[in-house]
Amino acid sequence: MMRIQDYEIPDELYYSKEHEWVRIEGEYAVVGITDYAQKALHEIVYVETPPIGSKLKQMESMGVVESVKAVSDIFIPVSGEIVEVNENLAESPELLNKDPYGAGWIAKIRPTNLKTDLKNLMNAPQYAEHIRRLEEK
Amino acid sequence: MLSELARKTHLYEFHSQRGRVVLFAGFEMPMWYKGIIPEHMAVRNTMGIFDVTHMGRVLITGPEAEFFMNYVTTNDVAALVPLSAHYSTMCNERGGIKDDFILYRLEREKFLIVPNAINRTKDFEWLVDQSRAFNVKAEDVSDNVAMFAVQGPKAEQTLQKISSEDLSKIERFKCGWTKLAEVDVFVSRTGYTGEDGFELFVWNTPLSRPGNAIKVWNAVLEAGQDVGIKPCGLGARDTLRLEAGMCLYGNDIDENITSLEAGLSFVVKLKKERFIGKDALLKQKSEGLTRRRVGVRMLEKGIPRPQHEVWKNGEKIGHVTSGTFSPILKRGIAMAYVSTEHAAEGEIVEVKIRDKLIKGEIVKFPFYDVTQYGFRRKT
Repeated sequence: MMRIQDYEIPDELYYSKEHEWVRIEGEYAVVGITDYAQKALHEIVYVETPPIGSKLKQMESMGVVESVKAVSDIFIPVSGEIVEVNENLAESPELLNKDPYGAGWIAKIRPTNLKTDLKNLMNAPQYAEHIRRLEEK
Repeated sequence: MLSELARKTHLYEFHSQRGRVVLFAGFEMPMWYKGIIPEHMAVRNTMGIFDVTHMGRVLITGPEAEFFMNYVTTNDVAALVPLSAHYSTMCNERGGIKDDFILYRLEREKFLIVPNAINRTKDFEWLVDQSRAFNVKAEDVSDNVAMFAVQGPKAEQTLQKISSEDLSKIERFKCGWTKLAEVDVFVSRTGYTGEDGFELFVWNTPLSRPGNAIKVWNAVLEAGQDVGIKPCGLGARDTLRLEAGMCLYGNDIDENITSLEAGLSFVVKLKKERFIGKDALLKQKSEGLTRRRVGVRMLEKGIPRPQHEVWKNGEKIGHVTSGTFSPILKRGIAMAYVSTEHAAEGEIVEVKIRDKLIKGEIVKFPFYDVTQYGFRRKT
């Protein structure tokens, strides 16, 4: 686990510039938003997940996450079909704050272009550097 | 620091060390300290304290002060006795709202008006302009006064611990002088949360000498510790006022919306002989309103936000001006302007949230149950 300032960055995940993470689980990819994203949004009160079966291309909007004050798109970090969404988020959106890399996962995807898509994502050290630059601004 | 030009209040150090500071109306103010929801709940359940020094403070003094205030504002100023206050609006000639505020009568010939932060300059210039034909003086004392709101059901008992005067004698919309932690403070039983509480004015306290302001702030926090007082930011201030059904200038009201459309007819005294906007408002009243401000409580999941459209039977009937997640109701709530024929309580409408029509119900303000929350609660 890497850590930059207050933000946790697990080593084994891939990351998008828009602060989504991807975990490869066999033939599936599980996605969510990062610790940095949940801390920036703060108190998450609503999550809109995509319908099961939707087919989306990398970095298309797959839903939204809302805090009391703000609305943010969730972009799908790898192309594919949504095979499962985290049903618990409907009643407990705060799971994204409490456990962004675990119980706060958002969707499970059957990737269609994984090899190429992963090249557009960052590994943990690269993402840490990305956050460091954002924090400097 | 967010900007070299940003203004700060006496409590800036506290805000920046303890909270997330944002730029609001040119001021660096706290959005929250620990979080909007816990701060919101503290005010509904016990109490909170807000720095509201970013708002304006203008004194109107002189022999014609009452006459003048009756001319520039819509409420009945003659009915205000010294050391009392009322909510009011100031309109342009078209009846459009220049600002909404609380007006205080300090003395027979001395009034205090507290403009919204974003309207400070505009209001003062308007007041100076309009006052030329009257024997009055308008003075902007904003920068010499710190202002805090202490709100919630435990506000009175907590402030009493550090007050020299009996605060229970100050009824809602009354005001008076006391010493809080040995500092002279003008207190009024008013607020912007729907709860009981006070607004504190620490006079003769410029930014260069913040001592008294900091002293009062810290004394209130300490006195409220046993009931769980929380310092609160602008985030909770917004969700609290929205749950209470109170307008936010720039969102829910502006110069193109009249006081009648905004549902503020209770502060528009059309029987007054003369006031700016009267003719336009009289005309609008006789012709009938085409749109009205209403509350919408969402019946399905989804959070309405400003600019979202409101629909009914496949037809657009209005738009949202403020919307949020209500911490008390745990669902989306909104203020919206809808055509009058669909503005009745109980009407089912739809809010268009990201291309989906989400069901909501027109409800009266406030959104919460007044027997459980707010200043009328049955304790």
